[in-house]
Amino acid sequence: MSIFVTGIGIVSAIGLSAEKNLRSLRSLTTGIRRSGKHDLMIGEIDLSDQELIEQLQLATEDYSRTSLLGLLAAREAWAKNKIDKRIRTGIISATSVGGMDRTERYYFESQTSNRTDSRSLMTHDNGRTTERIAVELGISGYIGTISTACSSGANAIMHAARLIEANKLDRVIAGGSEPLATFDIKGFSSLSIYDDGICKPFDEKRMGLNLGEGAAFLMLENEHSISISGNQPICSLAGWHNATDAFHQTASSPDGKGAALAMIHALAKARIPPQAIDYINAHGTGTGNNDLSESMALKTVFGKNIPPFSSTKGFTGHTLAAAGAIEAVYCVQAIQSQAMPPNLNFTMPMKETGMQPETEFHSANLEYVLSNSFGFGGNCTCLIFCKAS
Amino acid sequence: MRELAPSSQLITPDYSEFIPPMDRRRMSDVQKMSIACSMDCLDQAAVGQPDAIIVGTSMGCCVNTRNFLDKILDANGGPLSPTSFIVSTHNTIAGQIALLLKNHSYNMTHTQNSLSFEQSLIDGMLWIKSGFNHVLVGGADEEEESLYNTRSRLNREHLHLACGASFFVLSNENHHSEAVKVVDVGSFGLIDGITDCISHFLASNDLDAKSIDLVLFAQNDQQKMDQLKSIFPRERLCDYQKLTGTYYTNSAFAMHYGVDMLLNNTKTTEAEVRYILVCNNVIPENLGLILLSIK
Repeated sequence: MSIFVTGIGIVSAIGLSAEKNLRSLRSLTTGIRRSGKHDLMIGEIDLSDQELIEQLQLATEDYSRTSLLGLLAAREAWAKNKIDKRIRTGIISATSVGGMDRTERYYFESQTSNRTDSRSLMTHDNGRTTERIAVELGISGYIGTISTACSSGANAIMHAARLIEANKLDRVIAGGSEPLATFDIKGFSSLSIYDDGICKPFDEKRMGLNLGEGAAFLMLENEHSISISGNQPICSLAGWHNATDAFHQTASSPDGKGAALAMIHALAKARIPPQAIDYINAHGTGTGNNDLSESMALKTVFGKNIPPFSSTKGFTGHTLAAAGAIEAVYCVQAIQSQAMPPNLNFTMPMKETGMQPETEFHSANLEYVLSNSFGFGGNCTCLIFCKAS
Repeated sequence: MRELAPSSQLITPDYSEFIPPMDRRRMSDVQKMSIACSMDCLDQAAVGQPDAIIVGTSMGCCVNTRNFLDKILDANGGPLSPTSFIVSTHNTIAGQIALLLKNHSYNMTHTQNSLSFEQSLIDGMLWIKSGFNHVLVGGADEEEESLYNTRSRLNREHLHLACGASFFVLSNENHHSEAVKVVDVGSFGLIDGITDCISHFLASNDLDAKSIDLVLFAQNDQQKMDQLKSIFPRERLCDYQKLTGTYYTNSAFAMHYGVDMLLNNTKTTEAEVRYILVCNNVIPENLGLILLSIK
């Protein structure tokens, strides 16, 4: 059976719609800038919570930024679709810190003031951030949230596909959302893997990552759903897999075992040989550890014939739980526009591998496109999209 | 089994039997509880390596999360230790289990507040149906009083807030002759009434309310409680929160209780217990259903 992608929605530092994101990818325009508040290079979205609430025309202010960004992207992916009793519809989102943006504000303020509003904690739990999006779209029933750190968004899409494949649901809006929380900024800074400039994925002189915020969703439907909705498939989700590196809580193994397993099984699920892959959107965070480990995994899976690949983290920053969903949208757009998004800031191949990512936005015949996402806990996920529906 | 009292304390095993000392020192309650349960139940099922590890947790490693917030405040802009940050993500629990087992299989964490465990079970059952032999599935949440519990949707005066972990090995039918069968699991978010949902769920399994010998329920809403009483006879209803207290993944405890009952073939009223329904309505608008039967 086929799982069709019939809609995409995205907000990131390089645009507040799919069209604007593609335009930035095409013109090699990064969204990473120095943030005044944190004095770090960050992929921020230029809308305050209040501006988001106004743009989304919400009645109350009782939303975490996670829900606000998520809703903006989810509405674009949902487009003009309607709730229909004949279509079993679910939503699966992903977040790593839930409503931490409001929680930390409350917690930090509560240390110096006793006039804080503890109601903001009501939006903290991960599941709540998804429920707020579901309410606005009118979805009830299967409402799920995946939280596996930086692979969360890809896992939400995979889980949606598995529920459709098992005939539990006909249609799922799946993706992820992540706000820029001080919690994450301080956390990644404390790991000493933060690049003071714009990150340089797969470069010999890469210094680390930049954080970003954003959200993205895909509309996934089965044939039954499409026969009622009348939606035109953009492409299909052909393969997926999740595997564990089981090497270290945060570091990837030198040989990228978990990553390789995820890719090998996703290829098997899609029933295609490695040579069928035309483009890889790598996890490529720009850290010394990730990019080398991922490169070794690519060598294990593809041998000497590694397909054209790039990391788009130099555009958006690492958007953590949203990254897998944002990059899934870029893969769908790559198939849609038959062009590969480039890898920014690459000048020198790593001496260990000599591998060279794509550095220009250029046209290519893209039938199968693969996306990697890896997270803390050794969590490795691979998704494969296919042009033919 | 005794009812929970205000003086009740968390029962903890000797963790040194399950977790190496170096790892144990750095772990929070939710990690230790989950790992001890996992190792014990893999041992009972004589499964060395599960084909998947799936954890449901609403609040995840919330103690480590709060600790890192405190460290940010203490550091006041200065250098920070990443120790509590790297073990703050919700998937630390499932990840640590895999790390201890050196397990490279599917590893997932569902965090849909009161439905986190049910969604983990659904995930595990999908894998069993697609051919996996053994899947480790659990539900776990820890207490964190100073932050989340002060203002969570569970915070109602009459509730006894608690914590716990319960893990299970789901196996393909070819294994374990004496085991209990998980017939079906449902996760229903943001629903109005519970009666239609329950009836439809039972009907889709060719059952009706009369077929259920025991309903293990968690209910914190009077209106929904009346709905439950309208479907099932009062003598078949058992409030599991009186035994375990309230936390988001306490339906995992109820499933454990139900499995034990079916294995021991305990009797309620006169009839033999064949079907048990775990009816989790901890959050009034969310309903989790787990249908268990003797094999």
